[in-house]
Amino acid sequence: MDIIIQGIKEGFLLVWSMDPKIIQITLVSLQVSLSALFIAACLGIPIGAALALKDMPGRRLFLNITYTFMGLPPVLAGLIVYLVLTTRGPLGQFQLLFTPAAMICAQILLAFPIICGLTARTVMAQRQEVYDTAVTLGASRRQAAWAIIRESRMGIIAALTTALGRLVAEVGAVMLVGGNIEGSTRVLTTSIVLETRMGEDSRAIGIGIILLVISFSIILIINLLEKRSFKNDTGIQVT
Amino acid sequence: MTPVFKLHKIIKRYGQREVLHIDELTIPRQKICAILGPNGSGKTTLMRIMALLTRNDTGKVDVLGEDIHWGKEQLLKLRRQMTMVTQTSFMFEGSVYDNVAFGLKVRGKKQREIRPAVEKSLQLLGMSAFIAADARNLSGGERQKVAIARALAVEPRVLFLDEPTANIDPQSAVEIEHHVQFINRELGTTIILVTHNLFQARRLADEVFFMWDGKMVEQGSAKEIFEQPQDERTRSFLSGETVF
Repeated sequence: MDIIIQGIKEGFLLVWSMDPKIIQITLVSLQVSLSALFIAACLGIPIGAALALKDMPGRRLFLNITYTFMGLPPVLAGLIVYLVLTTRGPLGQFQLLFTPAAMICAQILLAFPIICGLTARTVMAQRQEVYDTAVTLGASRRQAAWAIIRESRMGIIAALTTALGRLVAEVGAVMLVGGNIEGSTRVLTTSIVLETRMGEDSRAIGIGIILLVISFSIILIINLLEKRSFKNDTGIQVT
Repeated sequence: MTPVFKLHKIIKRYGQREVLHIDELTIPRQKICAILGPNGSGKTTLMRIMALLTRNDTGKVDVLGEDIHWGKEQLLKLRRQMTMVTQTSFMFEGSVYDNVAFGLKVRGKKQREIRPAVEKSLQLLGMSAFIAADARNLSGGERQKVAIARALAVEPRVLFLDEPTANIDPQSAVEIEHHVQFINRELGTTIILVTHNLFQARRLADEVFFMWDGKMVEQGSAKEIFEQPQDERTRSFLSGETVF
C-alpha cells in the first residue's frame, strides 16, 4: 500500500514539474487520439446516420459487421494496419509504419465502428417519430433527416465519448504500429507499460494521472459543447 | 367546391394482411370529419395515406384536386398544406418557441415573419406564457396545445387530429375541443379527426365515417350516423356491443 501512496505522491510531483519529455509524450497522445477521433467521426456519423435512415442493399450486413467490430481487440486492429503498412503490404511504399500516421490509422479502425454503430442505433431509435413530425410540419426529406440527426445528438455525443475513452486508453494497437519510439511515437499508454517494466512505478503512476486528467477534460469539453442537451437532464425521480 | 380528398379503390397491405380496402371516399372541405371505428379498423392507416405519409398499394388518391403520383416535389407541395397532431405529440428538443417555429423555418420564412406567427398561434391556444418554456417539460394537455399551435402556425388547409385528447385530463380535452371548433369555424381549416371516442365525435363532427375491418361501412352527417345508423356493425359499435 505504501508503494502505491508513495507512487501517487511522486506522480503528482512529476506532473507538477512539467517534465519536457512527459509534455512531448502527452502532445503525441493528444495528436494521435484526437486526429483519429475527428476522422472517425467525420466518416462514422454520416455513414451511421445514412445506414439508419436509408434502406440500401447490404445495409443489414454492414450494420452487423460494424456491431461486431465495435468489440475489435486493439491488438488485432494494430495487426491489420501493420500488415497493410509493412514494406510488403499494399501501402508499404508510403513508409508510414512506426509513425504517428500509422497509429492514427489503427485508432480510426477502432473508433469508426463505435461511432458508426452507436450513431446508427441512436438515429434508428427515434427516426419514425421525428420524421413523421417533421414531414407533417412541411419539412423536405433532407430537412427531416437533419431533424432526426439533431434530435439524436445526445446519443452521438455518447458515441464520441465512448470512442475517445477507448482511444486514449488503448495500448496494443499503438504499440504494434507505432513501435513506442521515444520522441516520435511514444504515447502515454505505451510509456506506462515501459516505465512499469523498468521498475519506475512512480513515473508510471504520474503518467497515469495525466492520462486520467486528459480523458476527463476532453469528455467535459465535449459535454460542455452540447450543454443544452444536458441542461434539463435531472435523471429519474425516485420516490 | 372541390373535395379535400378523393380516394378510389384504395388497398393497403402489410405483408399478406389487407389492412385497408376503400372503394370510394370523398372528404368535403372546411368540415370537421370524424373517422370512427374500433382498434385495428384501419383508421390510422387511412389517415396516413391521406396525409401522404404511407403509400397505398393500389388505387387512386386525389389531394386538394391533385392526382397523387408520389413525386418528391408534389409531395412536399401538398404536405405543406396539411399538418397532423397525434395522441403523443413529439416535441423537438428546445423551447416552445423553437417547436412552433419549426414549420415556418423549414419553409424558409424570415425571422421577422416567424416571431409574430408563433406568438399569434400560441395566443390562439392560450399558451403565450409558455413561449420560452422547455417543450419537453410540459404536461400532457399543455403539450397537445403546443402541438396544435405548432400545426396552426403554418396555416394549413387540412389539420389531421389522431386521438388528440386520448392521454389528457377531461378539462384539457374540453379546452382542446373548443380550439378545434374555433379553428374550423374561424379559419376554415378542414379537420380530420381520427378517434374511437364516440362522445367527442358527436360533439365535434359535421360528417362521420365509420370503419370496420379496413372497410368504410357507413358515412353520413353526425346526426344520421348517431341517430339512425344503417349498418349492423355501426349500430353495434355505437351501442357498445360487439358484433361477433
